[in-house]
Amino acid sequence: MATWTKNDASVAPYVDPTPLPPSIPSVEEVGTTSAPLKSAAFFIGAYCKDFNEDFMLCKAENRNPEHCLKEGRKVTRCATDIITKLRENCLAEFDKHWQCLENNNQQYYMCRKPERALNKCVFEKLGLVKAIPGSPQGQPQIHEKTSPIFGAMQK
Amino acid sequence: MSVPYRQDLPPPGGFEAIKYKRNLPFKGPSGIVMLAGVTLFCGYGFYRVGQGNLEKRELKREKTWARIHLVPMLLAEGDRDAYRRQQAALEREKEIMKDVPGWEAGKSVYHDKKHVPRESIVVL
Repeated sequence: MATWTKNDASVAPYVDPTPLPPSIPSVEEVGTTSAPLKSAAFFIGAYCKDFNEDFMLCKAENRNPEHCLKEGRKVTRCATDIITKLRENCLAEFDKHWQCLENNNQQYYMCRKPERALNKCVFEKLGLVKAIPGSPQGQPQIHEKTSPIFGAMQK
Repeated sequence: MSVPYRQDLPPPGGFEAIKYKRNLPFKGPSGIVMLAGVTLFCGYGFYRVGQGNLEKRELKREKTWARIHLVPMLLAEGDRDAYRRQQAALEREKEIMKDVPGWEAGKSVYHDKKHVPRESIVVL
């Protein structure tokens, strides 16, 4: 006999092996873990601005997941593209930075040194700049500060 | 025994001056100097706290924007997965309810056209 169980009390994981219907073009997921994503976040934001904004405007139109699949694929392809480009052009700097984030609770302020190297490399090779919207005008942004108050205790 | 007469006189050069002046050795900086010093010290400390608060605000802004930049990518991935599960659930519903006449698989319980996510999922 079937009995009712709360979904979140289930011992089985919430897995559905059914693939997407074949009418939906397939797209490779980004598949990157949190630290590399955090390291690349501002470059994803700069590089994929148009796709991201398009997608979010589409989501604002209708929250149905079916509504924005096309825009979503573009967003994912763009994110995969920039991460591939990062790895092609600045692999050493990128690896250093995200490994530092991984070891430091994913705090940007703990990893300014590798971040500077990464930002420099990305600017030279890809022309992308890390810019934080809403930062105070006429002052260096937080990641450009030479002697910040908050930093790693051990240099 | 007789002692030769000798008048008692001051020592050659006279007596030394009488020490009537107060002897007050230097005992450290005065109150006003200490007060000024402490004020300066605390002032610098508060200045650093202020600067630190501004910096904290910027760090928070940085973290928030890093997340904002990642939202579309993560949402797109989640949407694809949600759509896939939705379609699978719809197929299952169609299969299970195929013998019930008049049953519309996947029909919303609301008249509203707005998308309402499913309240419950079927854990396979």
